[in-house]
Amino acid sequence: MNRHQLGEFEEIVMLTVGILYNEAYGVAIIDEIEQRTQRKVSIGALQTVLRRLEGKGYLTSEFGEATNVRGGKRKRYFSLTTLGSRVLRETQEKRTELFKAIPRVAFPKS
Amino acid sequence: MNEPFNIEPPKLFLRFFRWFCDPSLAEDIEGDLREMFQRQAGASSVRKARYQFSLNVLKLFRPGIIKKVNHSSFIQPSPMFKNYFITAVRSLMRNKGFSAINIVGLAVGLATFSLISFYVYHELSFDRYHVNADRIFRITENLRTENELLFQSTSSPPMGPTMAKDFPEVESYVRVQNWNLLAERNGKSFYEPNSYIADSTIFDIFSFSLISGDKRTALREPFSIVLTETMARKYFGDEDPVGQQIKMDYDMYQITGVMQDVPENSHFRFDNLISWTTWSRNNKRAEEGAWFWNGFHTYLLLHDAQSADAVHSKMPDFISRNVEKGGMYYEDLPLQSLTEIYMAPPRSWENGTRGSINNVYILSIIAVFILLIACFNYINLATARASRRLKEVGLRKSLGALRRMLVAQFLGESIIVAFIAGILAALIIWIALPYFRILVESELTLSLLPSLWLVAGLALGLILFIGILAGAYPAFIISGFQPLQIFRPALNKIYSHQNFRRVLVSVQFMISIMLVAGTLLVYDQLNEVRTHDLGFNKNAILVVRTNGDTVIVRHLDAVKEQLKIVPGVQAVTGSAFVPGSGITNNYTEIEMQDGKFSPTNINYNFVDHDFLTVYGIKLIAGRDFSKDTKADDTTAYIINETGARDFGWTPEQALGKRIKRAQGARIVGVVQDFNYKSLHTNVEPLMLRLVRSAGRLSIKLDAQNIPATLIDLEKKWNQIAPHIPFDYSFLDVTYDQQYKADQQLGKVAGVFTTLAIFIGCLGLLGLTSFAVERRTKEIGIRKVLGASVSSVIVLIVREFVIMIVIALIVATPLTWYLIAQWEQNFTLQAVINPVQFLVAGVSVLTFSWLTISFLSFRAATANPTKALRTE
Repeated sequence: MNRHQLGEFEEIVMLTVGILYNEAYGVAIIDEIEQRTQRKVSIGALQTVLRRLEGKGYLTSEFGEATNVRGGKRKRYFSLTTLGSRVLRETQEKRTELFKAIPRVAFPKS
Repeated sequence: MNEPFNIEPPKLFLRFFRWFCDPSLAEDIEGDLREMFQRQAGASSVRKARYQFSLNVLKLFRPGIIKKVNHSSFIQPSPMFKNYFITAVRSLMRNKGFSAINIVGLAVGLATFSLISFYVYHELSFDRYHVNADRIFRITENLRTENELLFQSTSSPPMGPTMAKDFPEVESYVRVQNWNLLAERNGKSFYEPNSYIADSTIFDIFSFSLISGDKRTALREPFSIVLTETMARKYFGDEDPVGQQIKMDYDMYQITGVMQDVPENSHFRFDNLISWTTWSRNNKRAEEGAWFWNGFHTYLLLHDAQSADAVHSKMPDFISRNVEKGGMYYEDLPLQSLTEIYMAPPRSWENGTRGSINNVYILSIIAVFILLIACFNYINLATARASRRLKEVGLRKSLGALRRMLVAQFLGESIIVAFIAGILAALIIWIALPYFRILVESELTLSLLPSLWLVAGLALGLILFIGILAGAYPAFIISGFQPLQIFRPALNKIYSHQNFRRVLVSVQFMISIMLVAGTLLVYDQLNEVRTHDLGFNKNAILVVRTNGDTVIVRHLDAVKEQLKIVPGVQAVTGSAFVPGSGITNNYTEIEMQDGKFSPTNINYNFVDHDFLTVYGIKLIAGRDFSKDTKADDTTAYIINETGARDFGWTPEQALGKRIKRAQGARIVGVVQDFNYKSLHTNVEPLMLRLVRSAGRLSIKLDAQNIPATLIDLEKKWNQIAPHIPFDYSFLDVTYDQQYKADQQLGKVAGVFTTLAIFIGCLGLLGLTSFAVERRTKEIGIRKVLGASVSSVIVLIVREFVIMIVIALIVATPLTWYLIAQWEQNFTLQAVINPVQFLVAGVSVLTFSWLTISFLSFRAATANPTKALRTE
């Protein structure tokens, strides 16, 4: 289990790739994250994380179509691998488990 | 939004991205970048998009994205770089002497170059700090008189206002005039020779800023005065002077403002400004109608810098419309751009000091020369050293080093050395700057420099440039050798770049000889000027200003008698001007040969009876002014030889000729020409007349014991005229001030020539040590076979002597030409003495011979067995 630890930003990226399903390429991912979490994401930051996740085998990618807007460069679509989705789920369960373990009195009354 | 835009992202950054990005990632990331760029270009501005694009590229420059370094090469880069660095340091350390010479020589060269550049920059920066600098023009005059065309820097009071009225291009004008007032407050009393009256517009036209006071009203009322910070402190200390009063001459002035000191790079500088109305309230008629009262400087502010030519073209019409054509008239009223005034050839009556574009050129040449010498040293030593590292290069190549790696290694080393030299140079500059300021007699405040970043950037660029230049030769030549060539004993080809070195050394010798010969010739010229018979005696004469004080003027004879009592005083004379301190020019009509009067403008000095005696000026016809002839006061005129000749008379004929200025005015004497200006100009016609109100007293002293006499004189002066400061100067000093720019050039050239030779010798020392070391075995064998010490020395020195001879041959005509050009500045030109070239050649030869033989002697006397045993 210890081998599959996700960083916070890594987790967000993977979730977003999941959300976008077949449409997850660089610019789209950035847009989605910025829209949903209101945080600025640079291409540099995103790309490094994408490649790292791909290297770990959580994501896979393939080239898509090229458009004029992109100066004739093809898009690269990312999708979750089986391993990826399992790690994502495990992370989620771990979180819930931890959350549930907090005694009710620990929450300040709001 | 989906429409494709034909806007390209910044090329430079795109190329950078493609260069560093891992090729397997490049395509889709570039696509992303472009997509975002296009979208942003459509949504906001293209500029913003380009900025964002560049930023994104920079953010991509991170480990995950940068391509992995070529795995096919079996050398990992980082240990290799470390190795380069280690070899660089080792090779520097192994030849400590060599490296020190290299670095010190380059550092001194860089420091000198930077200092001179700073000075040149300072000289060229004059008046550019004004916000309106490009729109400000000075009215100058080409004034036609009977005999000559006068180029004056001055203008008359009505010109400015009339032009502002007539020409729509003129936005505003300001008139200034220099006054010399005796200021007094609370017992502190000084002459303030840098006082100016000025129109109240001065603060709108020039960028002088007021610290306190209102710039609109400060110079409105008569007897208003604005002080500079320095002058305010001088009289008021820490008090606030605004609203207080100060006495200047006989009037009380109201202080209406304090302004920042005038920057040092201003063509005229003042210590206070007095309102124009102080003058004009009593001179209304002159202000409106005195078209020939050329005692003012007028500056125009135009709406548009380009319209100066348009305004100038209207001048002929302007002149004929406004100015009456009489005995003299204006041929033209040219407009002189503010930023050109400082360097332009001076017109008569300039306000403030003027620079010399000649000196700027000469100094720039010297600066480049010194940098060249230092660079050549560096290149020479770097090549010499590199050829000793052939084995290293061979080994590296055999082990698979690529050519560009070796090039990078050598260039890198060279840049490291240049960088160290740069740091050392900065230290030298820091230490030398105060002395340099004294040398060039300029304040050179660092705040003149545009921005520290720009300067640092330029310095860094220069260092890089020199590093690459010096490293390029060894880097590209040596890295080109095949390993086999290096290890085979056929070395001839490899050492063939000796010729290249010889050329560089010869050029260095040439530059050294040019500098030495040039400096000697400049000194020759200055000496010629200084010792030339001026036609009067300028030694041991003390000049004291009376400021035309009524007490002194009224009792001039008594004052003179009192001063003569002081032991050590030989004679005293009063005059309006003394040689070398200006002259006045008056309209006069003189009788010609045909009996008619010729109207002309001629220089005047007003003197008393003892003037010719004190100054040792010879009469060649007629008589001196006489005290016995009372009429002399108004009717006696003495003319100089040139004046007499100009009107077509011999000195004898000139006597008794009439002058239409006063009833019965006649020429009573003719004096030999004397240089009352400087040797930059020819002696012009001059008229001497008697005067009562002497502005200056000239006191002839015994040459011995001058300091003691000075003390006695000051005591005496304070008894006679306690209200006037004993403000004296020595005539020979002030007279020679006229050659200040030339003397400064001589001094600066002297210093830098010495430096240049020093740097050159350093290089020579390095080269010789290299030559000697390379020939250790040869010398050993020669000695074993019976060569004497002297023949070995000759062997080494011969090569250099030939180079010096060649250099001398090339340098002589070049220097000759340049010096001849420079001497055109003087009416009196020293003969260019060919011996000086010989002296220069011999001195350079001696210095280099000393340097070389120091090392070659050691090699020649060494035990040959030691030499032969070295491996």
